Amino acid sequence: MSWKLGSLIVGAIGVLVLAIWASGVSPAEALGTLFRGTLGSPSAISGTLRETTPLLFTGLAVFLALRAGLFNIGVEGQFLIGAMIGSAFAIRFPGPFGITFALIGGAFGGAVWAAGPGWIKAYRHGHEVITTIMLNSVALYLTSYVVSGVIKDPAQQSAPTVNLAEASRLPWLVNAPPVQVSWALPLALVSTLGLAWWLKKTISGYELQAVGANPIAASYAGIDAPRMIFFAMLGSGAIAGFAGAIQVVAFEGRFYSGFSPGYGFDALGVALLAGNQAQAVIPAALLFGVLAKGGTALQIFGIPKGITTVFLGLIILIAAAIRYRKVIGGA
Amino acid sequence: MRGIGKRFGALAVLSNANLTVKAGTLHAVVGENGAGKSTLMRILYGALAPDEGTMLVAGLPYQPRASSEAIWRGVGMVSQHYGIIPELTALQNLVLGAEGSAVLKTSSLRSGAQKLADQMGFPFDWDALGSDLTPASAQRLEILKLLWRGSQILILDEPTAMLSPGHADAVFVSLNRLIKEGRTVILVTHRLSEVMDHAEDVTVFRGGVLIGSMPVASTNATELTRMVIGGEMPTPPPMGSEFGRDVITLNQVSLAPSPLGKPLHQLSLCVKEGEIVGVAGVDGSGQRELLRLIAGLDWPSEGEIIGFQGPTSQRLADGLRIIPEDRQSEGMIADWSLEANSALGLQRLPPLRRGFCIDLAGRSQWAQAVVDRFGTKAGRLSDRMGSLSGGNQQRFVAGRALTKAPRLLVAFQPVRGLDVKGAADVYGGIRSACQGRAGALVISFDLDELLTYADRIVVMFAGRLYDVPVAQARDRQVIGRLMVGQSEAAA
Amino acid sequence: MLNLLWPTLVLATPLILAAMAGYTSERGGVINIGLEGMMLASACTAALVSVVHGAALGLLAGVGAATLLSLLHWLATQHYRIDHVISGMSINALAAGGTNFLYGKFSNPDRTGSIPHFGVPIFVGLAFGVTAALWAGTKYTAFGWRLVAVGSDPAKARLAGINPVVIRLIGLLMTGVLTGLAGVMLVSDSGVFTDNMTSGRGYIALAALILGGWRCVPACLACLGFGVLSAVRLQFQGTSALGGHIPTEAWASLPYVVTVVALAGFLGRTRTPTGLGRL
Repeated sequence: MSWKLGSLIVGAIGVLVLAIWASGVSPAEALGTLFRGTLGSPSAISGTLRETTPLLFTGLAVFLALRAGLFNIGVEGQFLIGAMIGSAFAIRFPGPFGITFALIGGAFGGAVWAAGPGWIKAYRHGHEVITTIMLNSVALYLTSYVVSGVIKDPAQQSAPTVNLAEASRLPWLVNAPPVQVSWALPLALVSTLGLAWWLKKTISGYELQAVGANPIAASYAGIDAPRMIFFAMLGSGAIAGFAGAIQVVAFEGRFYSGFSPGYGFDALGVALLAGNQAQAVIPAALLFGVLAKGGTALQIFGIPKGITTVFLGLIILIAAAIRYRKVIGGA
Repeated sequence: MRGIGKRFGALAVLSNANLTVKAGTLHAVVGENGAGKSTLMRILYGALAPDEGTMLVAGLPYQPRASSEAIWRGVGMVSQHYGIIPELTALQNLVLGAEGSAVLKTSSLRSGAQKLADQMGFPFDWDALGSDLTPASAQRLEILKLLWRGSQILILDEPTAMLSPGHADAVFVSLNRLIKEGRTVILVTHRLSEVMDHAEDVTVFRGGVLIGSMPVASTNATELTRMVIGGEMPTPPPMGSEFGRDVITLNQVSLAPSPLGKPLHQLSLCVKEGEIVGVAGVDGSGQRELLRLIAGLDWPSEGEIIGFQGPTSQRLADGLRIIPEDRQSEGMIADWSLEANSALGLQRLPPLRRGFCIDLAGRSQWAQAVVDRFGTKAGRLSDRMGSLSGGNQQRFVAGRALTKAPRLLVAFQPVRGLDVKGAADVYGGIRSACQGRAGALVISFDLDELLTYADRIVVMFAGRLYDVPVAQARDRQVIGRLMVGQSEAAA
Repeated sequence: MLNLLWPTLVLATPLILAAMAGYTSERGGVINIGLEGMMLASACTAALVSVVHGAALGLLAGVGAATLLSLLHWLATQHYRIDHVISGMSINALAAGGTNFLYGKFSNPDRTGSIPHFGVPIFVGLAFGVTAALWAGTKYTAFGWRLVAVGSDPAKARLAGINPVVIRLIGLLMTGVLTGLAGVMLVSDSGVFTDNMTSGRGYIALAALILGGWRCVPACLACLGFGVLSAVRLQFQGTSALGGHIPTEAWASLPYVVTVVALAGFLGRTRTPTGLGRL
């Protein structure tokens, strides 16, 4: 912990205090609101967990790519595509079968959306950051076009799809309104631990991380680095697309334009904060879940929601100053 | 200018080192890898800050905080790997950092540059991109850069390491010319013959400590050698005598040119069991591409490689072991532990695998064996690879390649960064591996190293392989001419 | 056709300014995906200040805000050695959140209608002037050569007596000023500030820079190309002139798709500065 890092943290806290002060609310009051709104009651906690679940999945998607040396900024777009395809399948095939279809379709859609950047990075040396940013915009346009045309609720003038039938929705693990916890949460936790095990114990996990740490050394070690990069991107996209489909069948029950409030970007913060241990994605996602839920609580207080985004930016900066100094992949 | 007095001490790298250089002379600084001579020079050039000690240039206190200050005081340096920026032209490289004015007139810069080049007798294409320069012309451009900046004290760090013997001699002709003009040259080298032939004074470092400083005339090569290595030269292992079956055969192998590499033309080569074949040549003759072909990282456009086929992983499974050129970027993962690095390249082979999983117990035993093979000085197996010194990293990478009996070892500068004893150790290891049923192909820019350790030498130039005539197989001059493409002269 | 010319220029101007901002940053080896955020910060600050203090101070404030973020990027990448992409992302987050916060908190709801601003033609002229100046600057000034050197290989440039950190500071200051101008231009053109009003222009500018192979004039041409696309889309939205079947979303996606195709190497090899992202 150097003075440099210290001054960065002090500066970040200063910015936040200044912002809260400027909004005319006492910091203590703001913190109190934040706490009550996120962890203060069972229903607040269940709301926070609901926010945490998609962040876990998308954070995991970013994390996997990061281990392979890839910056998947396209999680946002892959999430949207996954959600769109998931909702289309779930609407078309009602029932548990439809849920399975939706989840597989969502993962497939996300993987397809990531395939281009993965291929370009692996075989054409085009930077994945740029391609994924570009495809995020395309995904946004594509989904908003599709939802206002092909899969729109015929009864509505615009935007959302019909609501899913009850049978097409993922059941609740705990269902005592207002406290509701979806099966999606344990699914996300198990996926995280599974990924952690795979990375640590298996040869393919070792090879993926070797490519991420030094692709040239990995090639000399007999690892097909381009192929690994391609499949890592595919896997990352699949997780992101799966997250989108889960979001439809577990929580939203429909798809609409502007479906993601920026999960893909928050996920970058989650993964960066988690560092190099997959398990650490869990607390990181929880923190961001608290922030997302808390932002809404603060809004009632007259503090614009933007302040949580500022906080997110500062956290990313500090986390990166601590452990992400090296250039990943290279340009 | 009356010379530099310099004193300072850094932790382990260099302690209480002194260096006095008389103006207008060529002063050689010699020592083994890791002796601290490069560190000393970088301090002199302001690229590193000393922890203690003082320096004087021309009798005045001198404390450069950056290279720009050193340049301003007339101290210039050519580092071993050259400082040519690939995306700029030769002219832009020449004047970079000393352009003279904010807005530039290319024509007047060019005529100034040409005048300088004419003085030194260097022909130059000023519009050529830095990336297109050969090692020899990059070297010349580096010297011109120092003159452009009006450097009075020129530091050259291993200027001939990348050059053929002929080009190396030409460098000394230029340096002598500069000394006649009254400039001072500090030459860092490990080639004692250069010291004996060209230098006026010599200073010897060993293990970060000053061993001695004297006029060259008052010493001789044997005594210098003793001072440099702190003992007698280790006797090289005996040459191989009985060669078995073919381990690998390259049959008229060509590589098409690509943006990433040079083309290769119809290489034919055979390495037999028990044989160490050395590939001599100046840097950039296609050695890198040859290694990549054998490793299965590139595919030949024509011809075939017999003995090892398929993807790299298959070749590794068949017993190919590689000591790559650049251990840091090709041979290891700096952020990982020694233990994780010990498996790199062998991760799919026993004792490191168990089904789909890593055999963690097997791996830690294996890692210890790799560390012990050539005496890597390391703390714990969980330490970061990047925390080791360069020489120890090289020992580790060599140990990894040689701990389990290989079938074919392909090594690019396998003793880079090692002292004489370490080098003898590693070559001893290669030799003993070859006494089984293995062969070795060693690529090096250092002809003397190959003459000492290789059973047979082939020369690479401009993407082609040349056999050395049997009668002159150990003739330095003949091989040196082949290295710069004068094959007719040799024949 | 003529009625497309002016809209094209107006639409291309912020892109050109931002692309040139990217040029001074990335030519020096600093990856900059924070252009979007810098523009946004400038637009918001300019809008807030102009209303109270007039166009001139508004412009200064906008440029100042963008420059501040650009300096943050310099600090983060050069002193804290944070990965350039991460720093850029967090700058975008800071700008998106910060402008939402500030505008939500401090904009005066009583003041409606257009805010005071400079004429749009000034910015259009400026964009082309900047492009020409940067082209000449790269070719004929010591700073231009040094910038390229630092972007190509910072370690070697340091050996030549150049301090990459200082060169990049100057480059990023230019980036700040140029993104600032681009942001002020956006507000001047539309007369209002709206949440996230840059809507990806920073990324499109970056795309143009890449399409142009990190060279000024081709990058400027790419911006003009994107400007034509937008102008055509706006002109013929909803009419059958675009073939009726092609949805506007497809038109809007075109710049992004073209960039991805270009990065796949189908439009010739691009010459990326080799020192991008290196210390």
